[in-house]
Amino acid sequence: MDNIAGKKSGLTIAVNITVFLLVLIWLIPTVGLFVSSFRDRDAISSSGWWLAPFSTEQTFRGRGDVESVSQDGALFVLSGNVFQDPEIAPAFPNGEGDIVAFGDSGRAPGEYPAGEVADLGDGETLIVEANGDYLYTVPEDPGNRGPRYYVVASTPPNFTLDNYRTVLSAGGMGQAFINTLTVTIPTTIIPILMAAFAAYALAWMDFRGRAFLIAAIIGLLVVPLQLALVPMLQLHYNLGIGQSFLGIWLAHSAFGQPLAVYLLRNYMIGLPRDIIESARVDGGTDFQIFMKIILPLSFPALAAFAIFQFLWTWNDLLIAKVFLPSSEEAKVMTVKIADDLLGSRGGDWGILAAAAFVSISIPLLVFFTLQRYLVRGLLAGSVK
Amino acid sequence: MNPVFQGLITIGIGVGGIFLYFVASNALLDKVLFPAKGKNASRNINRANTVRPWLFLAPTIIALSLYLVYPVIGSFYRSLFNRSGDEFVAFSNYTTMFASSEFRTAFWNNVLWALVVPSVSTFLGLLIAQLTDKLRWGNIAKSLIFMPMAISFVGASLIWKFVYAIDPELGIINAIRVNMFGLDPLDVLQVAFWNNLFLMVILIWVQTGFAMVILSAALRGIPEETIEAAIIDGANPFQIFFKIQVPQITNTIIVVFTTTTILVLKVFDIVYAMTGGNFNTQILPSYMMQFMFRDDGRATAVAIVIMLIVTPVMIQNIRQARAEMR
Amino acid sequence: MTRTITGVSAIALITVAGSAFAQDLIVPQGEGDFAWAALEEFAANNDFTGETLNVTGATTGDDAQRYRNLYAYFEQATGATVEYSGSESFEQDIVIAAQAGGLPDVALFPQPGLAKDLAAQGTLVPVAEGMTDFMVDNYAAGESWKQLATFPGADGNEDVFGLFFGTDVKSLVWYVPEQFEEAGYDIPETQEELMALSQQIVEDGGTPWCIGLGSGAATGWPATDWVEDMMLRTASLEDYDRWVSNDMPFNDPIVVNAIEQYGMYALTEGFADGGPEAAATTDFRDSPDGLFDFPPKCYMHKQASFIPIFFPEGVEAGTDVEFFYFPPFEANSDLGRPVLGSGGLASVTNDRPVTTAFMEFLGTPIAHELMMTQGQFLSPHVDANLDIYTSDVQRALGEILTTATSFRFDGSDLMPGEIGTNAFWTGMVDYTTGADAQSVADAIQSRWDEIK
Repeated sequence: MDNIAGKKSGLTIAVNITVFLLVLIWLIPTVGLFVSSFRDRDAISSSGWWLAPFSTEQTFRGRGDVESVSQDGALFVLSGNVFQDPEIAPAFPNGEGDIVAFGDSGRAPGEYPAGEVADLGDGETLIVEANGDYLYTVPEDPGNRGPRYYVVASTPPNFTLDNYRTVLSAGGMGQAFINTLTVTIPTTIIPILMAAFAAYALAWMDFRGRAFLIAAIIGLLVVPLQLALVPMLQLHYNLGIGQSFLGIWLAHSAFGQPLAVYLLRNYMIGLPRDIIESARVDGGTDFQIFMKIILPLSFPALAAFAIFQFLWTWNDLLIAKVFLPSSEEAKVMTVKIADDLLGSRGGDWGILAAAAFVSISIPLLVFFTLQRYLVRGLLAGSVK
Repeated sequence: MNPVFQGLITIGIGVGGIFLYFVASNALLDKVLFPAKGKNASRNINRANTVRPWLFLAPTIIALSLYLVYPVIGSFYRSLFNRSGDEFVAFSNYTTMFASSEFRTAFWNNVLWALVVPSVSTFLGLLIAQLTDKLRWGNIAKSLIFMPMAISFVGASLIWKFVYAIDPELGIINAIRVNMFGLDPLDVLQVAFWNNLFLMVILIWVQTGFAMVILSAALRGIPEETIEAAIIDGANPFQIFFKIQVPQITNTIIVVFTTTTILVLKVFDIVYAMTGGNFNTQILPSYMMQFMFRDDGRATAVAIVIMLIVTPVMIQNIRQARAEMR
Repeated sequence: MTRTITGVSAIALITVAGSAFAQDLIVPQGEGDFAWAALEEFAANNDFTGETLNVTGATTGDDAQRYRNLYAYFEQATGATVEYSGSESFEQDIVIAAQAGGLPDVALFPQPGLAKDLAAQGTLVPVAEGMTDFMVDNYAAGESWKQLATFPGADGNEDVFGLFFGTDVKSLVWYVPEQFEEAGYDIPETQEELMALSQQIVEDGGTPWCIGLGSGAATGWPATDWVEDMMLRTASLEDYDRWVSNDMPFNDPIVVNAIEQYGMYALTEGFADGGPEAAATTDFRDSPDGLFDFPPKCYMHKQASFIPIFFPEGVEAGTDVEFFYFPPFEANSDLGRPVLGSGGLASVTNDRPVTTAFMEFLGTPIAHELMMTQGQFLSPHVDANLDIYTSDVQRALGEILTTATSFRFDGSDLMPGEIGTNAFWTGMVDYTTGADAQSVADAIQSRWDEIK
């Protein structure tokens, strides 16, 4: 007995470790996106996201403060603190920081360690202390443009909520959110309902042409959507639907059909035959059997498909673009983000990352809610 | 409040409408047209049962024929015409296409994608579904694996850009290469042949969550009695998994595999956004997008080829469906 | 609000508040040195009260707001309402709309290639009778502009299908003056000097160029600008035009030479930051960042006039960063100082009196000035007041346009889509990552033969 238990716990540890590693691998890219969503575009494109939580050494440049100039014999002395310099101050809101090194040329900005007097030649000297105080001695009157200096300072990690603020407070985002729900909720429920009936017919009802229909549906799975856009929009205009919510419901419902029917039929065919046959013997019509037995038993499959259909319609940009009018009142979130937030030439990586996380939240919620239905034992009592 | 209200009403009408169709049409069938009572009761039940499949299938069939069948036929017809659509060129779009080396690259890459992505993501999905099943934090683990599915492809491309970037300050792979192994930075998306696999990794990363959810539902659908019986017989966990559980969900595994294969033949976003098809990473869907809305003759010809590629998978599925019906 | 708004900060305020106060006019009428008379005259002749005009374009976000600010004046002058919707996927949307229905009244094409296709299908309406020579009379190098907007219509007859509105200048090299000053580099006046400077920088231990061709599906386009600029500097304008129309094959030695001239910068060891391999995939939006690092990752970046919007925050064009004209070869001094550019084309898609009036409005100098005062807009309109530009850099760029003698349009925008927005792009990526110029050019030409 002990032996078996030992084996078992050893296995459990192995399982835990394996899952942990898999999850870690899976998570790394997502964490990267998450961290990036709290950084501005410049930070994103200047250092890796894994460095974001640490202090980094960054180079800044400033000019000797000409207001402070004082004459020392033939030399002019400029003094002050680098963290007060108008070019550097914005990065250090507290007005203090740590200087690591300094220099006088952009090519070698960290030539001299902090606190060491640097002889720059031609009688020029510069010293920058670790706390940022500097003394710049030059042989000629600097006039109104102080001499350049460069400092390498360790900068604290800098996270910002600006990206989220931009995404959430964009004008019309609330309307877009409602529009997205208006698109996604019906286009999750309608196709599932349609497909569930169709799948039942294809799984358990006997009629001519059944095999052909199954074949056709599998074949239609692979049709690229782009082919259907133009003819369908044309049809909608001819029918008087035009670009409207009704139009996008129809489109999404139809485009989601093949996969929904395929998945649900495959699930339903696996349901035990005797339940259905005994119900038939008891005189139930197929409609009753479907509503009272099949539908409840298919809950895991329905929930699983609902999760995915919801995701696809939620993240869809292409169909929303084509089948909804382009006016402000009808914009869904993906369109809003692509067209209004990312700007004309894209490339605002921070906002893109934040938008990805804003739009991920609802699908995850749906996943958590529906996951409860992916439970064991729905069939347990009914099988002998 | 107003837009919320409006939204709710529209949702109500949409969902209510479709539900009403099924209830009302079945009621019409059972109560009015062929009532299961009176002197023709049994004949009526038979008649109702002949009509009912079509009642169930009608919305799906109408939707599919309008939105998918008709465009496919239209597309095939269109693929026989030239760029501007005013000259019949028979199969010349197809012949030029097969003569182009870029198409052949795309074709063979696509075959590789269709082999690798479904196998790997189905395998990983099954593994994770089984391993997390009994784990206390299984649901959290599953949610984390599932998360990439919820990220849009644009967001996914962005984050993989930061994995693969050549600059060791931005790309994590090159950061590791340079800082830990002292190697030179390398653009993994330009390494011949392997770059295809690096692109596939992205889709596998996204798609494993799908396989996991479906397979996890299937695993939980397995009657517990069969497992309990095996435990009593002294089977070890591996035997239970391979001999008891997997055989019972073979059907679902095929479904997941098929679905992922089909997805592979449709997803253009990843290649489109990551390499634009350069460095010999072109695949058919992104190759098609180059022509879409520009040279519809060529674009539709590519689409038809994509549909033909899936034929073997289709035949396998039909065979299986036939077997089940017996 | 009685003060005249000219400062950039005021503009920023407006764009932030933009959506909430879309109807507010950015510059109160009558103030500042704007051509208000043109607007008054236009208002007196046009009344479309109650009508709605739908305009679509590729500009989105803040850029779109700048256009909406302009349309507010049209609304005020005519009483019509302008509904502008910008879309990231404008080109796809307009093609779908043309085939399925739902066309707007006016479409703003980011480049004329697609407009040409749609004109041939009969989707576009030629400009009104009196407007055909508008650009010739009012734009610098007007003949070139008119030529660029002239396509065969559905009936096969050539017509002018729109008005260029909004221009970018491409032949620019951006640099940080302070870095140049510190290192003691001079602005090169000739290609020979530019090459010498590049070598000098390498010898000094620096990297001369930041090159970034990455742009998602459009990866490679920045290199096509290089090649076009090299074409204009190594071959005559006639040759350039013949190349664009494929009367001169793409694999002609002249073109191959231009590609190789680009290669002199992109492929020479040590010239491009990270080497050509990195250049091929670095995003064009991130690539100029290297100019502003200490020590600089590179000293020069060749890119069009729009690039300042991608500079790091706080970098001010004119003080922190400057541009110089991508110089001609001393050896080819007979070719002059050609300018490469690109521009957006406003075309009518629905023939109504109000659309004609709208096109007329876009032609008034005041319309150009109202865009200029918001920054990020260059105009070749000779009557637009250059003082309106918000910065010296913008003004200098505007001047390049209004004084251009030989202006040529971005060739890839004029070639058929398969070439200009595909084969040429991927060919340049191949070349940058090691293929040789001749075989790349051969491949592009054979692709071109395919679609003839």
